[in-house]
Amino acid sequence: MTALADTREAWRPDIWQRTQLVGRLAWRELRGGLRGFGVFIACIALGVLAIAGVGSVAASLADGIGSTGQLILGGDLSFALIQREASDGERAFFNDRGTVSVAATTRAMARTSDGRSSLVEIKAVDAAYPLFGTVVTNSIMLLPDLFAQKDGAFGAAVDPALLTRLDLKTGDRITIGNIAIELRAALTGEPDKLAGGLGLGPRLLISEAALRATGLLQPGSLVRWQYRLRLPSTDTSDRAVTAVEKAAQAAFPDAGWEVRTRSKASPQLERNVERFTQFLTLVGLTTLLVGGVGVANAVAAHLARKRDVIGTMKALGASGGTVFAIYCGQIVLVALLAALIGAAFGAALPYALAWAFGSIIPIPVAPSLHPGTLALSIMYGVLTALAFALWPLGRAHDISVSMLFRDQIAAERHWPRRRYIIATALIAAALAALAISTTYDHRIAAIFVASAIGIFVMLRLLAMLTMAIARRLPRARSMVLRLAIANIYRPGSLTPPVMLSLGLGLALLVTVIELDGNLHRQFTAALPERAPSFFFLDIPAADADKFDAFVRDRAPASSLERVPMLRGRIVAANGIKAENLKPAASSRWVLQGDRGITYASAVPAGSRIVAGQWWSADYSGEPLVSLESKTAHDLDLKTGDSITVNVLGRNVTARIANLRAVDWENLGINFVLVFSPGTFGGAPHSDIATLTFADGGTPAEDTAVIKALADAFPTVTAVHVKDALDTLDGIIKNLVLALGGASSITLIAAALVLGGALAAGQRFRIYDAVVLKTFGATRGRLLCAYALEYLCIGAVTVLFGVAMGTLAADLIVTRVMEFAFVFVAGQAAGAALAAVTVTLALGLAGTFTALGRKPAEVLRNL
Amino acid sequence: MNDISSHPSNAISLSGVNLALGRGAARVHILRQIDLNIGRGEAIGLLGPSGSGKSTLLMVMTGLERPDTGSVVVAGQELQRLDEDALARFRGKHIGIVFQAFHLIPTMTALENVAVPLEFAGARDALQRAEKELAAVGLAQRLHHYPAELSGGEQQRVALARALAPDPALIVADEPTGNLDEATGREIIELLFRGHRERGTTLVLVTHDTELAARCDRVVHLHSGRLDTAMLHEAK
Repeated sequence: MTALADTREAWRPDIWQRTQLVGRLAWRELRGGLRGFGVFIACIALGVLAIAGVGSVAASLADGIGSTGQLILGGDLSFALIQREASDGERAFFNDRGTVSVAATTRAMARTSDGRSSLVEIKAVDAAYPLFGTVVTNSIMLLPDLFAQKDGAFGAAVDPALLTRLDLKTGDRITIGNIAIELRAALTGEPDKLAGGLGLGPRLLISEAALRATGLLQPGSLVRWQYRLRLPSTDTSDRAVTAVEKAAQAAFPDAGWEVRTRSKASPQLERNVERFTQFLTLVGLTTLLVGGVGVANAVAAHLARKRDVIGTMKALGASGGTVFAIYCGQIVLVALLAALIGAAFGAALPYALAWAFGSIIPIPVAPSLHPGTLALSIMYGVLTALAFALWPLGRAHDISVSMLFRDQIAAERHWPRRRYIIATALIAAALAALAISTTYDHRIAAIFVASAIGIFVMLRLLAMLTMAIARRLPRARSMVLRLAIANIYRPGSLTPPVMLSLGLGLALLVTVIELDGNLHRQFTAALPERAPSFFFLDIPAADADKFDAFVRDRAPASSLERVPMLRGRIVAANGIKAENLKPAASSRWVLQGDRGITYASAVPAGSRIVAGQWWSADYSGEPLVSLESKTAHDLDLKTGDSITVNVLGRNVTARIANLRAVDWENLGINFVLVFSPGTFGGAPHSDIATLTFADGGTPAEDTAVIKALADAFPTVTAVHVKDALDTLDGIIKNLVLALGGASSITLIAAALVLGGALAAGQRFRIYDAVVLKTFGATRGRLLCAYALEYLCIGAVTVLFGVAMGTLAADLIVTRVMEFAFVFVAGQAAGAALAAVTVTLALGLAGTFTALGRKPAEVLRNL
Repeated sequence: MNDISSHPSNAISLSGVNLALGRGAARVHILRQIDLNIGRGEAIGLLGPSGSGKSTLLMVMTGLERPDTGSVVVAGQELQRLDEDALARFRGKHIGIVFQAFHLIPTMTALENVAVPLEFAGARDALQRAEKELAAVGLAQRLHHYPAELSGGEQQRVALARALAPDPALIVADEPTGNLDEATGREIIELLFRGHRERGTTLVLVTHDTELAARCDRVVHLHSGRLDTAMLHEAK
């Protein structure tokens, strides 16, 4: 034996040497090009693009919100009070610490001289407004002139939407409360608009003096007073902001105000962006999951092409583990390349968005690179590729060298070794854990991941079942049918890849379609029969009886429900401060900002007691509260526990006497917190009421009531339920549109996988077609057979996809959104039809090539 | 010559080897009670009609196929005692294989193809040694060509250089000229025998060609999975 052989006996490569060898060989192998990896790269790149793009856009929005915090907030700090103005002490505190501007917001009815009316969102500002940014109007007038009282009318800048709605032009007058307002300019830019949240009507910007003159400021009126503070230019640091915030809380612990700072100017907006990002990210993950099927197909095809090479390597001394490592290395490299491509496009998305739509997006976008987001999306891409590639790669471990000596017709199908099965499971688990841990609402993410895996496994089983049934079908007389059925179950059949890719993509699409349909129906078409036509806000308690009598007189066929309404913030539960409570995501909103609260002597309509006892009608003991049961569950509260709310700057602690199940769907007046009478003593408040027409009401009845009430009770605000729901529906439509856009990426991935699978099977199709043509089959009959095959596979997949999508939507609607689910057939049927058509079209497109090949040409090369 | 006795000087020792492949009705007995000893440095020609089990016997000798019964000892190592990975390492160190269909790795150059077994064996000078081996088979000018850029004869020369590169104790060649024209085939055989002579390597050559087999030290005939003892003879 020679010197080389002797030294080799002792050679035991360490990990680094082994890695180097594996890397070298993997790289050499890849130099041959990425042929066959097209679908792999496209699928992973698409999924990563979706996740990286969504993440980058969301982060850019968050940055935009963060960097323009002063603008959005209207100051370095903002103190918001409901139903009350700041006390002299509080105002003195603000004045001592910087420049103060006050902005009061409320809703009111704008009336024209000829009796038309519309709900408006009033913002009344002082002379210091705005502390940051500029108000943009179509007028050259300065704000003081624009708002000043001239010729018996205060001035206003108004959202052009109101001008259109009431067919007015600048210079016209409207009535708000008891005074005339001249619309002097169209309002096109309001620096602190975002902090206001969702408005139900167009904005009307007036002066504080005008608001005070309207008569809308009654005790208990739903007015939000915001005091914005600009710190002196000598110290505007974040530390100074925090110091003022702490000093304010220390000086006025029971103020009950909501304090916001410029670094968290709009937590609600940020939360909404975060929550929506979560849904889009989950859609992106579905794209990856669908793409994973393409990865598995591509890897299996790649290894099938490399069987001889693998056999040769093993003959030359490579162990099964080394072969696995070489090809796994290649797959990781390709996946990394694909993920980088996707991440690069994803990273560019916020820039593209800002460039194309920056001027019309209502939220500021500050495009920048977000390495963490991009790294996470790349990790998703590589992990997904590995999760789907390990199975076929594991099989490569056991490719036998003997096939180099002996022809083998088909690769042996066997399970990979246990270590590869375990590794696949571990990576899938890591992927799921990553998806769940990095999203806002872990529960929803967990449901999504479990559903996606469940549907995936079911689709695989369905494919096996379909093939098993096809195999057992009695022999068909028709050659066309026989061929179609045989193609469904034969080795290398299209059944599994088509079902997995198309089934999952379609299930997602149907879920989105059904959610869209149900939400739309919920907000518009499916208004409950007994849904009220109007909500009336700010009914002065003193005029309440007069209001009731007036409505009964004008609309005798209607029913009126009126309850007292205060605004309050939950500040503690069982003595634990609200900020330290950790409610489930579905009830976090209860602790965010102020909530409407009421008191009542009887169980409110639309509620039923599920725990504890309702208090007696003449109860006058310690404060008691009735809590909505789901909120109680999420806050981990039960009867006997205590809740502290701050109402009008006073903390009130009440014991939970009972829990109520509330039917929110009837759109009646319902509250999370209903207190026992007497809890709030003589606290000033107004009432709210609902008006429900027995027959649902006609537009004419609606207009007549509004007009009469606006004249008689000018300070009462009427919210037309249908209009409000239309506004919400419009917003939801846009959200669903974005969700649908993201889902379409999943469908593109599904089509790619489908196309890839069909292309991979093309060699067999050509062989079949040529042999059958040689023995007398016409192109027409072959075409029928293939069409029948695609139709069968497509139909089974579509039925399952629609069923799963509907089930998923049903669960989301009934369990997460908690309203009744209705199957919206039209669009789902459209999607199903489109899916079958795509399968047929893609399949037959490839088949035409197969049918077009001349037998002699192919047979010569067999 | 008596081939039944085992001896420490044997490169290969097969004893009572039986092998059947397939399942149920499709099960075929490929090798039946094979006893064969091959001495170190000996050249053996393995002759037999198609389907007689020649290639399978080669696979058993190289540890690619495990016999149902019997023992296989190569270079002093009983192959049944090795697991699959150990067998792969053993092959890399002790056995060079030349295939009829060359089986070069298409994405690697001639030089890299020859270097692969040396790299698997941990040789630090793999590329230099591969270059020498290629020069030895007359391909010094074709080092950086890919298999697709080489003729069939050149490809088989690369395959031969690859088999010889680790200086194996045993070279097995499965009809190495089967895919080549006569003249090119002769060149390959010359190179194969030269390698065998110069390195003292044991050679097992599977062939249909009786003339070629006759160049070996000994010829073994295989018929329906059995060694034809009547025809077992010294070739030279």
